[in-house]
Amino acid sequence: MLATDPTYTAQIHQLLLRNAIEQFNCQYAAALDEQRLSDWSEMFTPDASYVVLSRENEDRGHPVGLIYCENRGMIRDRAFALEKTAMFAPRYLRHLISNLQLLGEDEHGNIKARANYVVLQVLFDRPDATIHQVGTYHDVFRRSDEGLKLKQRRCVYDNLLVPNALCIPV
Amino acid sequence: MVWRKAIAVDELKPDGVTSIEIDGRPVALYRLDGEVFATHGICTHALAFLADGFVDGGTIECPLHQGIFDIRSGKALCSPVTQDLETYAVKVRDGEVLIDLDGDNEAAPKDQEQICTKGEAPSRGAVVVVGAGQAAAVAIRSMRASGFTGTIDLVGREKHLPYERPPLSKDILLGKAAIESCRRLAEADAASLDVKTHLGCSVTRIDPAARTAFLSNGTELRYDALLLATGGVPRRLSIAGADLPGVHYLRTIEDANSIRQSLASAKRLVIVGGGFIGLELASAAATLEVATVLLERETELMARVLPPPLGRSFRSLAERHGVTVLPGVQVQDIRRDVEGLVVNTSAGAFAADVVCVGVGLAPETELAAAAGCEVDGGIVVDAEQRTSIAGIWAAGDCALHCRPVRGRSHRFESWHNAEQQGAAAGQSIAGAAPSPDAQAPWFWTDQFGLNIQIVGVSSPGDKVALTGRDGEPGAVYRTIDPDTGRLTSVVAFSDPTAIRQARKQLENPDMFDIATVSAALLTSDGKKENTQVVNERSVTTTSKQYVWPSEGLTRVPDWVYTDNDIYRREVEKIFHGRTWNYVALESEIPEIGDFIRSNVGPTPVVVSRAEDGSINVFENRCAHRAAEFCRELSGNAKEFVCPYHQWSYDLKGNLAGVPFRRGVDGKGGMPRDFKNADHGLRQLKVTTHRGVVFASYCDDMEPLAEYLGPEILREFEATFDGRKPKVLGHYRHSLPGNWKLYHENLKDPYHATLLHTFLVTFGLLVAGNKSSMIADPSGRHGVMASAKSDVSKLDNKTKKEMRAYKEGMQLEEPRFMDFVNEFDSPWSVTMTTIWPNLIVQREMNTLGVRQIVPTGPNEFIMKWTMFGFEGDDEEMTRHRLRQGNLMGPAGFLGLEDNEAIKFVQDGMLAVPDGQHVVELDPGVIGTADTLISEASIRAMYQHWRSAMEL
Repeated sequence: MLATDPTYTAQIHQLLLRNAIEQFNCQYAAALDEQRLSDWSEMFTPDASYVVLSRENEDRGHPVGLIYCENRGMIRDRAFALEKTAMFAPRYLRHLISNLQLLGEDEHGNIKARANYVVLQVLFDRPDATIHQVGTYHDVFRRSDEGLKLKQRRCVYDNLLVPNALCIPV
Repeated sequence: MVWRKAIAVDELKPDGVTSIEIDGRPVALYRLDGEVFATHGICTHALAFLADGFVDGGTIECPLHQGIFDIRSGKALCSPVTQDLETYAVKVRDGEVLIDLDGDNEAAPKDQEQICTKGEAPSRGAVVVVGAGQAAAVAIRSMRASGFTGTIDLVGREKHLPYERPPLSKDILLGKAAIESCRRLAEADAASLDVKTHLGCSVTRIDPAARTAFLSNGTELRYDALLLATGGVPRRLSIAGADLPGVHYLRTIEDANSIRQSLASAKRLVIVGGGFIGLELASAAATLEVATVLLERETELMARVLPPPLGRSFRSLAERHGVTVLPGVQVQDIRRDVEGLVVNTSAGAFAADVVCVGVGLAPETELAAAAGCEVDGGIVVDAEQRTSIAGIWAAGDCALHCRPVRGRSHRFESWHNAEQQGAAAGQSIAGAAPSPDAQAPWFWTDQFGLNIQIVGVSSPGDKVALTGRDGEPGAVYRTIDPDTGRLTSVVAFSDPTAIRQARKQLENPDMFDIATVSAALLTSDGKKENTQVVNERSVTTTSKQYVWPSEGLTRVPDWVYTDNDIYRREVEKIFHGRTWNYVALESEIPEIGDFIRSNVGPTPVVVSRAEDGSINVFENRCAHRAAEFCRELSGNAKEFVCPYHQWSYDLKGNLAGVPFRRGVDGKGGMPRDFKNADHGLRQLKVTTHRGVVFASYCDDMEPLAEYLGPEILREFEATFDGRKPKVLGHYRHSLPGNWKLYHENLKDPYHATLLHTFLVTFGLLVAGNKSSMIADPSGRHGVMASAKSDVSKLDNKTKKEMRAYKEGMQLEEPRFMDFVNEFDSPWSVTMTTIWPNLIVQREMNTLGVRQIVPTGPNEFIMKWTMFGFEGDDEEMTRHRLRQGNLMGPAGFLGLEDNEAIKFVQDGMLAVPDGQHVVELDPGVIGTADTLISEASIRAMYQHWRSAMEL
């Protein structure tokens, strides 16, 4: 009886979708925490945009991002370059993603969502895990044969003053 | 086997290395003695192009870490390189070099047209080479390369074709290499060079009159020229038991194999003789964990060739690795008992499973002496290796060096000597002109994980000066003739750079001043005689006298970067002194009342546009109680009001209103003579140029154009070319390093390709990019500039050269490296450092100004304002944004700079009171014509010291 109730079906649908996105975000965080950057780059659609920009720039409509990728090719380039060429001190990172909000799905299958994130960073010669970045993901997901993919992840960070360098994406 | 045309012979550098690319593979081509060789173009150790390296006596030295490869065989010859280079078969046809990437050089038959560089007709005749070691092989190659077309007969006592002996006491002992990797003349070479071999037999007699050599197998060989490359035999101990089974001598591959087999099951090794062979044996035994006792007759190791402090350093190196070294010990006899061998000595009996004897080499000179050649502890030769008897040459271990050193003739039993003498003999026999003057003798030994190189010749009586820590990697010993004060040799422990420099230093006929290298003299007991250098450091730190190192600008002491008093002085003398400080772009405050927060040095300021359109800069510190009143990063205001007590200021920073200035009810309030005009905010001098705003605490600052000077102004105006800048956004980051390191990073073109492997890895650097490192006459400003080619306009050939140098290393979005040539400038990349707080970045089409805000000696903040221009279309803006991935705190290049600067500060804080070495491009201060230069850093410190009055 319940299953035929349209409100109830819609709620189930919402719950499943929420669950799928949360699952996705867990896998996303795990890929970055484990620095599996090529796995990370495959979580995007081919036409995906991935931008990390300060809240200062976002609020003023300034487009400059710490990272600015217009397509998955650029995301893969970043993953590859960081893995193969970049010099930075070894570190552990912990990406925490929460406060997921589903913002709706349009007729083209674009699922809009928002979540908060915190990136903790540990350098090997310091006892503390520092808050390396804190911000909000502004996301657009698409369904694909391999499950959800990001068509857009716009990471808007609050801590304007980046501690030294952002070596691993957020 | 596919032969590909590579390049015309004429295009090869005469005596150097030429870089080409075949099927995406970088290949280095070398022209040696008229023959062409090919190897892979990239060092096997790190990503470096060998074409940038040094060719030297048949070897190529990698530019990056001075690893050396044999060009002919590709063999890795010294640390840090361990993996051999690929070599490729080469032939020369009709003036074209052809390469087979599948065929290696050693295996391939030689099939080259002779390239006669010296112009004389190839000589003919019959040559007999007596002895089949390395010198013989080199001589044969050199003869053929010099155009000799006659017959060559090679007679050797060993069954093997020539091989190199240095690995016998190193990798062969450890089973890490076999004879195949040591070959100096492989069977295929013998065939292609048309050499008739007589192996396993010896020459018993020479008749110099009849020019005939008689072989032990009855053959008689007539010769026009005969080369004695007879080498030598290990000296035997003249004691009982010297030839017992289990007592080994090392000269041949069989000897080495037999020692290797014995050591495999041995627990105790006794080595008799503490020379290089003995020490290398001890090193191998240490690796194999065989307990080793090394016995030396003299009171110190190698006492007949090295000054005692050096012998002592070698000894302590061995001792640190568990070897028991006993100098001053006479071996009396060797016996065998039930448990193995017993070596009886003046210091008691030592039990051993294996005994190795390394007490020197006796040169084989009997044949020479019998033929009438002059012999004096070795065969006497001239510069072309001719002996005193016509038609007979000599080379290698059996021959003396043609030039006595300090009145003494020497034999050099080294790889390098065999190469040089062999080549000289070959050329001379072929009738070719002799090579230019040979280099100082050079020798290397691998011991206990260190690669130790020696250049020059020392005497036991020489003084020894040490830099670095005795016996540790980086230790460099210089021996000095006490009579003349001249440098005689340099011994470097795992520091090949020091050896390169040493070659130059050794050529200098003047007295050697050890102060120039901060060396301390060692006494024979190894103590430092001269402790002045060591003390200088501690004086600096304890009494805070800030004494600049006596070497001058080639050293920068740590206190420059870490000391709080120095930092405070910098704020006073530099940021608040006679300087123009960047504060904003005009386009950030286009309207009346617009303001941004900024800084001059660490001092917070407000930049605002007043009603009259003027730009004003004043301190963000309330004149009343110091509150930093303006908290927004930017905005628009009619006035500024301090929230604490509502003191208000106009858009120029003048005090406008003080609440309750006259008190209430006649009580309280300010004194009657209080004048607002006396209590405004601290206002700074302002100037603008092409939309860029600068401020100064100095009231009589010279105009900006004068401050920058014409060269810097030109580059400034090339970027700010009159178009109106349009802000695209900011980056802000903290950086845990001293603010000057950021300037230095951009005055240090040396780091660019070394740190930023991104560009090299993806093949995005086009060979021969033009570049320059410019300093203004004062030394404070600079421009690092380079010209990249416009990819869209490149011809296909050049595009091909830009391809990735490793499989799979290709960008999926190469567009982001495109350069749209929008500037009237020969440079596509300029990094302009404007003292003290501005960097103007023009990295192709991604543009930005970076503002340095120091917050203490150990940290600063960087604020980047990225911009395009009014009139950019959307695609151009996106191109700038895409290219922005190179720079900034997450940029492919930018993040590495930030990390490197942090590492530098970490290093100084963790190991304090040291100094930086800023020596590249000696003698130059300021603009440099090479990128391998630190001349601009020195120029900056020349200015800094004068501004700081230090």
